[in-house]
Amino acid sequence: MRGLAQAFAEGFLNPLLTPAHALTLLALALCVGQQKGRGAALLIFVLALAAGFLAIVLAVETTPARVVLLAVAAALGVMAAAARVPKPLVWLLAATAGAALALDSPPQAVTIAAAYATLAGTAVGACVVLLAITTVAGHATAHWQRLGVRILGSWIAASAMLVLAVQLRLTE
Amino acid sequence: MREPEHSKIVHLIGGLLVAMAALAGRPALAHIVDGSAAGGFLGGFAHPLFGLDHVVAMIAVGLWGAFLGPPAIWVLPIAFPLVMAFGGAMAILGIAVRGVEIGIALSAIALGGMIALAVRARLVPAAMLVAGFAIFHGHAHGAELPPGTDAVAFSVGFVMATGLLHLTGIAFGLLTRWPIGRIGVRVAGIGIALVGAVFLIRAV
Repeated sequence: MRGLAQAFAEGFLNPLLTPAHALTLLALALCVGQQKGRGAALLIFVLALAAGFLAIVLAVETTPARVVLLAVAAALGVMAAAARVPKPLVWLLAATAGAALALDSPPQAVTIAAAYATLAGTAVGACVVLLAITTVAGHATAHWQRLGVRILGSWIAASAMLVLAVQLRLTE
Repeated sequence: MREPEHSKIVHLIGGLLVAMAALAGRPALAHIVDGSAAGGFLGGFAHPLFGLDHVVAMIAVGLWGAFLGPPAIWVLPIAFPLVMAFGGAMAILGIAVRGVEIGIALSAIALGGMIALAVRARLVPAAMLVAGFAIFHGHAHGAELPPGTDAVAFSVGFVMATGLLHLTGIAFGLLTRWPIGRIGVRVAGIGIALVGAVFLIRAV
């Protein structure tokens, strides 16, 4: 039981401690937080995350999920910086981010039970992080706060673009 | 009573500086997990701070933005990292740009000169000038990206440090609200241009 709790905790911290995951969640939360109706984007993210984890359970082979995550982070960062977030595009990117985050989080567990606990922890952790930052970003309504969100968006986009270039260089 | 605009921007800068201090105050973690995300972040964060030509140019971007006022005060610091990342990506992908060091030195001279002469350029030309110089800065940093580090953490640290240098410039630039501060900022512009001139002589 203690091993399962530890596996869950490791999974829970995974989205926070993996920079590419944290970057993508932050970018998505900033974009969703700038919108009025946030429920749809969050629901789409959760469903895509679940689909991604289902694919892992069904033993999907290695995917370029990390590159996809970074591309999504760059796109979301630019949208947050521009403060122009068309809802359908955010929904599409939320779905892509959810599935890619799940596929990029294969558990390193010894037992099947521990692997499921890690996956559950990652799912809960990603949703909690996304919900918390979205709530904070949603309350950033003052002019200077909105500027802060846009500046953060540009930083995320810039970071993701640099790392994408590194990934492309490595695959050459 | 409504809070003055400059006071809100000071709040924003203060918040981001506190975040920076919180992140920078984790050296022990970097030692424990050397080569990991924390080490990569600190390496990237320190990278832009060790080149005086970069530092003065980054501060000049924020300073000039503050001098020009809204919307340049926030457009320039948003545009610069995006274009700088494009320049960095060019370097990482092996696309050569000629005269990078000269371009960086010229950026300090030009931006310092704009501040010293109190040039009130329109937004689009100002953004294009800053973005053009950002290519050189990004290319120089991209070419020096150390292999073996966590690339995401390094890039986040590197971009954050650059952005915080802009915010430092903006914070200093807010002194232009007072006559004596305006003189101080223009003198700083002369200093930035002189540093750029020294680096230009070394580069040529």
